[in-house]
Amino acid sequence: MRKIFLFISVLLIAAALMAAPLKVAFIYVAPVGDGGWSTMHNEGRLHLERVFGDQVVTDFIESVPEGAEAEAVFRGYAQRGYDLIFGTSFGYMDSMVKVSQAFPDSTFMHCSGYMTTDNLGTYFGRMYEPRFLSGLIAGAMTKTNIIGYVAAYPIPEVIRGINAFAMGVQYVNPEAKVHVVWSNTWFDPAREKEAAESLLDVGADLITQHQDSPAPQQAAEDRGALSIGYNSDMSAFAPNAFLAAPVWNWGPFYEYVVRNVIEGTWTNEQYWGGIKDGVVDIFVSDLVPDGVAKLVMSMREAIVQGLLHPFDGPVYDQTGALRYAEGEKPTDAELLSMDWFVDNVVGKIQ
Amino acid sequence: MRIKIEKRLTVPKYSSILVPVLSVALALFLMGIILLVFFYGRLGNLSLAFRETFEAYKEMLTWPFANKYGIFSTLMRMVPLAFVGLGLSFAYRMKIWNIGGEGQLYMGALAATWGALYLFKDVTSPVLMIILISILGAAAGGIWALIPALMKAFAKTDEIVVTLMLNYVAIFWVDYLVYGPWKDPKGYGFPGTAPFPDQARLATLFKGEFHVGFFIAVALAIVLYYVYKRTRWGMNSKIVGDNAQAARYSGISIIKYTIIALVVSGAIAGLGGAVQMMGIQHRLQHGFSPGYGYTAIIVAWLAKLNPIAILLVAFLFGGLLVGNDQLQMFYKLPMALISVFQGLVLFSLLGGEAIAKYRLRVSREEAVTNE
Amino acid sequence: MAELPVLEMRNITKAFPGVIANENISLDLKKGEVHALLGENGAGKTTLMNILFGIYKADEGEIFMEGKQISVSSPHNALKYGIGMVQQHFTVVPSFTVAENVVLGLKEMGFFVKTKTVESSIKKLGESYDIPVNPRARVWTLSVGEKQRIEILKLLYTGAKVIILDEPTAVLTPQETEVLFKAIRKLVSEGSSVIFISHKLDEVLEISDRVTVLRGGKVIGTEVRSSIDRRSLVRMMVGRDVLLDFDKPKTEPGRTVLQVENLTVKNDKNLEAVRSLSLSIKSGEILGIAGVAGNGQRELAEAIYGLRKPVQGKVVLNDKTLRHTDVAQRIKGGVAFIPQDRRALATCPSLSITENMFMKNAHTNNIPQSPFNVNIRAMQKATEELISSYSISTASTKTPARFLSGGNLQKLVLARELSTKPCLIIAEHPTRGLDIGAMEFVYRTLLAHKERGAAVLLLAGELYEIFRLSDRVAVIYEGEIMGYTPPDPKFTEEIGFMMAGSKQGEIA
Repeated sequence: MRKIFLFISVLLIAAALMAAPLKVAFIYVAPVGDGGWSTMHNEGRLHLERVFGDQVVTDFIESVPEGAEAEAVFRGYAQRGYDLIFGTSFGYMDSMVKVSQAFPDSTFMHCSGYMTTDNLGTYFGRMYEPRFLSGLIAGAMTKTNIIGYVAAYPIPEVIRGINAFAMGVQYVNPEAKVHVVWSNTWFDPAREKEAAESLLDVGADLITQHQDSPAPQQAAEDRGALSIGYNSDMSAFAPNAFLAAPVWNWGPFYEYVVRNVIEGTWTNEQYWGGIKDGVVDIFVSDLVPDGVAKLVMSMREAIVQGLLHPFDGPVYDQTGALRYAEGEKPTDAELLSMDWFVDNVVGKIQ
Repeated sequence: MRIKIEKRLTVPKYSSILVPVLSVALALFLMGIILLVFFYGRLGNLSLAFRETFEAYKEMLTWPFANKYGIFSTLMRMVPLAFVGLGLSFAYRMKIWNIGGEGQLYMGALAATWGALYLFKDVTSPVLMIILISILGAAAGGIWALIPALMKAFAKTDEIVVTLMLNYVAIFWVDYLVYGPWKDPKGYGFPGTAPFPDQARLATLFKGEFHVGFFIAVALAIVLYYVYKRTRWGMNSKIVGDNAQAARYSGISIIKYTIIALVVSGAIAGLGGAVQMMGIQHRLQHGFSPGYGYTAIIVAWLAKLNPIAILLVAFLFGGLLVGNDQLQMFYKLPMALISVFQGLVLFSLLGGEAIAKYRLRVSREEAVTNE
Repeated sequence: MAELPVLEMRNITKAFPGVIANENISLDLKKGEVHALLGENGAGKTTLMNILFGIYKADEGEIFMEGKQISVSSPHNALKYGIGMVQQHFTVVPSFTVAENVVLGLKEMGFFVKTKTVESSIKKLGESYDIPVNPRARVWTLSVGEKQRIEILKLLYTGAKVIILDEPTAVLTPQETEVLFKAIRKLVSEGSSVIFISHKLDEVLEISDRVTVLRGGKVIGTEVRSSIDRRSLVRMMVGRDVLLDFDKPKTEPGRTVLQVENLTVKNDKNLEAVRSLSLSIKSGEILGIAGVAGNGQRELAEAIYGLRKPVQGKVVLNDKTLRHTDVAQRIKGGVAFIPQDRRALATCPSLSITENMFMKNAHTNNIPQSPFNVNIRAMQKATEELISSYSISTASTKTPARFLSGGNLQKLVLARELSTKPCLIIAEHPTRGLDIGAMEFVYRTLLAHKERGAAVLLLAGELYEIFRLSDRVAVIYEGEIMGYTPPDPKFTEEIGFMMAGSKQGEIA
C-alpha cells in the first residue's frame, strides 16, 4: 500500500516536471523601470524564473492604464492560453473579474483588490506595518516637526499607509505633524516632484511618499531635506537624503502561488501578508542613527511577534473623536475601508 | 532635363485611397528598421533579428484583423473612436473645430452613470433603461458642447480653446464624483462608482468580447451619411463650411447652424460615452478614456469627414491599438517604441496628404544657364 | 527688314483638367509697341500671361526673348528676363511706404535700405514716365489708381522691358484711366513694350498698336490698329454680331415693389455710409444709381438685402416692412441680389455648380422638396438646363465653382438669382469684369426681367450701363441721393456735377 502511494507520488511529480511550462503573465501599471512599485513586482517575476527555470514562462506588459483598456490586455493573455495572470494595480479589478469569468481555465491574481471569483484571488501586503516603522524614524529625525507626505489617491490603501506612518511619528514625537498633498497619479515623476516641492516650501524637512517613482526623494535631496522612500531601496536616487523605505518583496509569495497552481492546490483566497510573511519589510539606511535604528528593529520584532499593532488604541481622528480606545485595534475589514485621518495628519481626504 | 515640383490644381480621386495605403506602408517600413535595430540589440544576431521583426509584423497585422479574438478586440476599440469621430465630423464639416470630443465623451459617461445608478434606478426594463441612458448621455454631451457654441455664436470666442479647456473640466468633474459623492458605498472607499445594474448593460456576444454598441455606431454612420448627402441640413452645412459669407447671403443663420452643429457634435460624442459605459466599463472610474477624444480627431480627418470612411478608419486605428498591445505583450517591446510607431503612422499619413497636393514634373528642355 | 521681336511665344498649349485653356497660341511683341490681348472671359488671356510670367508651366511651346529661347520657371525668374506683370489683385504691402514697396524683395538692396537715395530715384523715375508719385506716402492711403502706378514703377525699377497689364482699367475711374494711358504711351516711347489685356473695346482701340483676339483658347487673329474698327473687333471676339445699341423695351411701371425710408447704414469702419436715404422702385422699372464707387452703394445694397443692420430707417417690400438682417425673409419674399463680389459673397468656391445653383433653394423652394430628402437628381437636371440657357461653359455640373472664369461665375449667379423670377433684383456692378458678350447677356437678361415685371435696383459705375438699362437715374454722393435724371446721355454733365457732390437744385 505504501509502495503504491510512493509510486503514484513519483508519477505525479514526474508528470509535473514533464508537463508544458506554466505560462505566467504580469500586467504592470507603470514602466517596469519605474524604480518603485512595478520594479518590485518585476523582481518577483524574475525570482520565479530563477526558482522554476524551465517550468515557467513569464511575460509582462508595462504601462497599462487602469480601466477598460486593461480588459483588452487581460483578454489578450487569456486568449493565448496563459495559465496564471497577475494584475498589479487596483484599477484592474473590474476587468479581471470580467475576464476571469470568461476564461475559467486561467488563474488570475489581483494585487490590492477586494473582489474574487472562482478563478480570481487577491493578494496584498500589510504595508502599514513597515509604514509605522518608517514613521518612527521620521518622528525621530524631523527638526521642524513638519513632515511632508506626497500621496497618490485618497483610497483606503494610501490612507491606511498615511495613518500608520502618522501613528509611528506620534509614538516618538507627539509634536510633529504629517502634511499630506495629493498628486493624483501613480506614476508621474514631474507631478510627484512638484508636489514634494510644495511641501518643502511650507517648511517640511522630511518627505515621504506613496507613488511609484523616486521623484519625491530627489526633490528632498535637491533641497537638502531628508526623505523616506517607498517600494524599494531608493538610496541610489537620493544618496544624501534617503533614510529608509517600507519595501515590497514579492518573490516568495509569487513562488508560493505558482507552486499552488502547478500542484493544483490553488484557492481563490484573499491573501494579506505582513512582515512576518516576508512580503513587506523596512529598509533602513546608514544615515539613520544607531539608537533610532535599534528602536525600529525592536518594534519590528514586536510586530512580527504579534505583540504590537500600529493602530493599537487610543487612536483619535482629525475631529478629535476617539476611534479606538485603549486596548482596541481595527479589524481587517476596517483597515481595508479606512477613510479618515488620525489626529496628527494635516490635510483632507478629497 | 529638369524636375520640378508643382502644386496640383485638383487632387486626383485615386489618391484618397493610394495615399493612406502608401503612407501606412512607409510607416511600416520605417518601423521595421527601428524594430530590426531593437531586436538586433537584444538578440545580437542579424538573421534572428530579421526573423523576430518579421514575426512581430505578422503578429501586429494578423491578430487584430485576421483572428477571431483579435477582431473583436479591434471592434471594441473602434466603437468609442467611431462615435467621437462621427460627432466631430458633424462640426468639422462646417469648419467648426470641436476639440472637445474627449470632454463630451466624459460627460456622456457621467450622465449615463447618473441615469443608471440614480435617476432611473427604479427602471427595470433593459430596453427602456438603455434608451433613457442613451438619451441622457447624448443630452449631456450636447449641453457640454452648448457652452462653447453659445460663446462662439454670441461672443465670437474661439471654439478650439474653449472646447479643449472644457475637456479638463469634464475630466475633473468625473474625478470629483468618483472620489466623492458617487463613490461606491460598498467599494471599501475605493474611488469609482457602483457597478451598473444588469438592465443598464448592453447585450454582449462571444463571451462578452463584443457588445451591440458596435451596431449603434454603424447605424449612426449610415444616418449621418444620409444627412450629409441628402438633407437640407447637409447641403446648408456644406455652404457654411465652404464660405460663411455666402451662407449668410443664402439666408442661412450662422448662429443657428453654429449652435446646432456643436451641440449635435457633442451629443454624438456623449452618446459614445454612454455606450462605452453600458457596453464595456459598467463603472465610472478615474481615467475613463485613454484619449479616444483626441485620436478621434485624427480619425475624422483621415476619413475626410465621410461617415462611412470614419467607421473604416476607426476600425484601422482600433486594430493598430490592439496590434500594439500584442507587440508589447508578446515581444516585450517598450511602450515608448509603440508610441514611436503610432507617431510614424500619423506622420506619414499627414505627410502623404500634403505631398499628394503636388506632383513631380519632368521637363525635357534644358535649363537656361543664366538663372 | 523686320526688327527682331522683343518677345515671342510660339505654339503655347496649356491644359487644365477638363479644359484646354491655350491651344497652339503664338504671339509676338515688338519693341516699343502696345499689344492688346482681347477676348471674352475664359478665352485664355490670363492663362497665357501666367505662363509668360512663370506662374504656370506650358505643356507645350517655346518662349523667345530677343531671339533667345528662355524657360521661365517663376515670377522671380521672369523679372530677371525683364518680364513684369501687374496683376488684377495688387501685391503691395499697405503699411509700407511707396519707396519701401518698390524695393521690397530686391536682393541688391541689402539689409539696410538707403531710403533717401531710393526715394529720390523713384521720384525721378516716376517723373520720367509721367507717373507722379510721392515715395514717402503709405500705400494704404493711396487710391486704387495710385497703387497700380506703384506696381508699374516697381517693374520699371527692376528694369522690366516687357510689362504685362492684366485688365488694368477694370478698377480705375475714367480720370485715372487717362493717367494710366499717358504713362503707357510714355513707356513705349522710352522703348518698353506693353501687353495690355482688356475686354473694353474703346480702350483697346485707343491705346494699342496691334491687337490679338483670343477666343476659346485659340488665336482668332492679330491685326494692326489701322486695319480694324469696333465692329470687326467685336465680331472677332464673340464670333457673332452684338447689338451695341438697341431700344429699351417699354414697360408701364406698376405698383411700388421696394420702398426705402430714411435708411441710415454704417460701413465697416463704423462711419455713416448711407444717410437717411429714401427711394422707391415700381414693378417693371429699373432704377439706376450712379455714383463714384465708395459713396454708400454697397452698404445700401447690403442693408436692403438684410446683410447689414441699418442704424435707422425702414425697408418695405410689397407693402410689408422687412425685419432688418433677415436675409431669409428677403429671399422668400422674392428679392434677388447680384453682389459685386461674387466670388467672396455669392458663391462657394469648393462646391459644385449644382450646389451653388441651389444654394438658396431652402428658401426659394424653386425645386420643391422636403428638408429630409433633397432631390439631387432634380437639381442636377435643372442645373443642366440652366447651364445651357445661360450658356455657362463648364465641363460638368459637378465642377467646383472656383474653376469657372469670372464671366461664367457671374452667369451662374444670374441663373440662380433670376431663375426664381424675383420681384426685386438688386444688381451691384453686374457687368464688372465681364467681356462684351457676357455684358450683353446680362443686359438682355435684366431687361427681360424688367419686362416680366420685376423691379430692379441697379448700382453701377459706368454711365453707359446706367443709360443703357435704367428708366430713371439717381445719383448718390456720400450716402445721399443728390437728384434724379432721365436715362439720357445729354444729362451726363448734370450727373457729373451731382456725382461730385452738388445737389440737383444747386446746379445753375
